Amino acid sequence: MAGIKLSAVKKTYPGSSEPAVKGVDLDIQDGEFVVLVGPSGCGKSTLLRMIAGLETISAGEIVIGDKVVNTMEPAERDIAMVFQNYALYPHMSVRQNLSYGLKNRKMARSEIDRRIEETAAILQIGDYLERKPRALSGGQRQRVAMGRAIVRDPAAFLFDEPLSNLDAKLRLHMRGEIKHLHNRLRTTSVYVTHDQLEAMTLADRLVVLNNGLIEQVGRPLDLYQKPASTFVAGFLGAPAMNLMEAEVAEGALMLGGAALAGGLQARPGRVTAGIRPEAIRLRAEPGNFRLDYVEELGGTRIVHGHIGAQRMIAQTDLATELSDEMTAELPGAELHFFHAETGQRL
Amino acid sequence: MLRAGLFPFPPFGFPMQTKRTTFRSYWLPYLLIAPQLAITLIFFIWPAGQAVWQSFLQEDAFGLSTKFVGLRNYVKLLNSPEYLASFETTVIFTVCTAGLSLGLALLFAVAVDRMIRTASAYTTFILWPYAVAPAIAGVLWWFMFNPSVGVLTYALQTMGYDWNHRLSGTDAMILVVLASSWKQISYNFLFFLAGLQSIPQSLREAAAIDGAGPVKRFFTVVFPLLSPTTFFLLVVNINYTMFDTFSTIDASTAGGPGQSTTILVYKVYEDGYKGLDLGSSAAQSVILMGIVMVLTFIQFRYIERRVQY
Ligand SMILES: Nc1ncnc2c1ncn2[C@@H]1O[C@H](COP(=O)(O)OP(=O)(O)OP(=O)(O)O)[C@@H](O)[C@H]1O
Ligand SMILES: [Mg+2]
Repeated sequence: MAGIKLSAVKKTYPGSSEPAVKGVDLDIQDGEFVVLVGPSGCGKSTLLRMIAGLETISAGEIVIGDKVVNTMEPAERDIAMVFQNYALYPHMSVRQNLSYGLKNRKMARSEIDRRIEETAAILQIGDYLERKPRALSGGQRQRVAMGRAIVRDPAAFLFDEPLSNLDAKLRLHMRGEIKHLHNRLRTTSVYVTHDQLEAMTLADRLVVLNNGLIEQVGRPLDLYQKPASTFVAGFLGAPAMNLMEAEVAEGALMLGGAALAGGLQARPGRVTAGIRPEAIRLRAEPGNFRLDYVEELGGTRIVHGHIGAQRMIAQTDLATELSDEMTAELPGAELHFFHAETGQRL
Repeated sequence: MLRAGLFPFPPFGFPMQTKRTTFRSYWLPYLLIAPQLAITLIFFIWPAGQAVWQSFLQEDAFGLSTKFVGLRNYVKLLNSPEYLASFETTVIFTVCTAGLSLGLALLFAVAVDRMIRTASAYTTFILWPYAVAPAIAGVLWWFMFNPSVGVLTYALQTMGYDWNHRLSGTDAMILVVLASSWKQISYNFLFFLAGLQSIPQSLREAAAIDGAGPVKRFFTVVFPLLSPTTFFLLVVNINYTMFDTFSTIDASTAGGPGQSTTILVYKVYEDGYKGLDLGSSAAQSVILMGIVMVLTFIQFRYIERRVQY
């Protein structure tokens, strides 16, 4: 086991003018589960593949354990990777898939067998050890792919969107299993996903990437409660945080000439104000909120509407009565304020 | 000859779709395949039947009378040291040619595959002409190895080797093997390259992380995944060397010196057209036909069960 330390890591692909990763500093503790999350093309995979040694590092330094690995081959880095398409060797049985990496490292036959038994028991893949990958379902392949990583007992696991090929239900299930597995094995893990829910639930620490740079790092709940920028605010949470161009004047939040909330400590001036849908309190009496449509989630409701010209999404419980004209109350303590130009938290 | 269809199967076992059309009229399907059937009958079955019939006959030296001799032509063939020698020549020639052309093609394909994967996409287009050019360049071999004016002959001479494929059987065999493989390399190359390109990059990456160096990666992951392509090419190449190399041999060595490059197909021609022993020639054709049938059977049998992983 080992920690991973990235210092000013950059990556420019040959032939492209803009770097894919523009200088990332990240200190991953031993045993930590870190999730890299961000929109498509933000450089998550690139960063992970640089840690794995599958891409060269254009600038900066990557340390795994106490060794600088910049020029090391993937095999020498003592990491295991789970690929999005699983990358199981199609011509080998599950057992051979698991033992391939161990045999290449000249491990004793008895030790290989012992590890395979152990891994098969952990992942419940013992029943199909002799099958070829094509005779397995998507979920089973996924398990084998994880098994191939676990059996190696590496310093770190690297996952590149390992669940994105599964259907929603299985994804949820495997998400739970990965979490469970990590609690049991405590192997340093770096996990890439663009699914913010997956990111929130799995991560000890969440890294939000945007356009090749780290936008914010922290515990999932901290990021959720105190997003450092409008980007993070909009990215985490579903439905996303309501963001509005507004003005703070005399301790009140002014939107289109009407005061939305009062008693604020915020500095006067133009701001981007944000509020989570679940923080908005809706009442049935006619007021500032015009209801457009409602999405029923079963346990809760997502209410889409407008305050003046501003679109607003609220989440309510089933007890709240709905009508076309409602009153939305925005508690001052639940408001987030961001710089109107830079989008940084104020 | 047997090169039925350019892409007999995708290198990865994608399930092939079965498209079934139902005809209302009983006669329409037969009408539609009638032309194909007619061509097969007139140009294939009919001559083949004639050859089989001919192989049971023997003509006298002047071609005046013909008599039915049963299997005697076959018995004579199988007891003829010349025929058995030709068999041996064919085996040597086929193994060498198929081995050389497949080996070199695979080597080139691996090199180009690496280049395409690492460099930008347009290299692909630059390389296509290189893949096709060897076929055109095949004719150069005659000039290069010409005993009196050939460049390579001269080069070998300065190195102390007296090249003369008109006198040395070994030299002649080397010449026809080189010329025949050269022509086949481009074809093999394209198939190998397509096969290599269809192996997902992530498999190689997984193997790299699993501690396999480039050579081990090739032999434990890449080559096994290429095996359907390799097998298909092997059958095609054996067919090619046994049957399509006639003109190459005729133009370069004419089967000589002595019998050293007389492969089975060439012997059919020699005994039939030059020796005018039509009965024996026909019997040889029938044996060749049998070999083709076995090869075809193996090929189709294999393609039927091509998903071996
Ligand atoms: N081999 C490559 N050559 C050139 N550019 C590349 C290469 N791989 C990725 N890129 C570019 O680098 C940027 C980051 O790509 P990357 O694959 O890391 O994104 P990602 O965050 O993993 O996205 P996704 O969620 O879609 O997988 C993208 O703009 C992409 O086009
Ligand atoms: Mg990616």
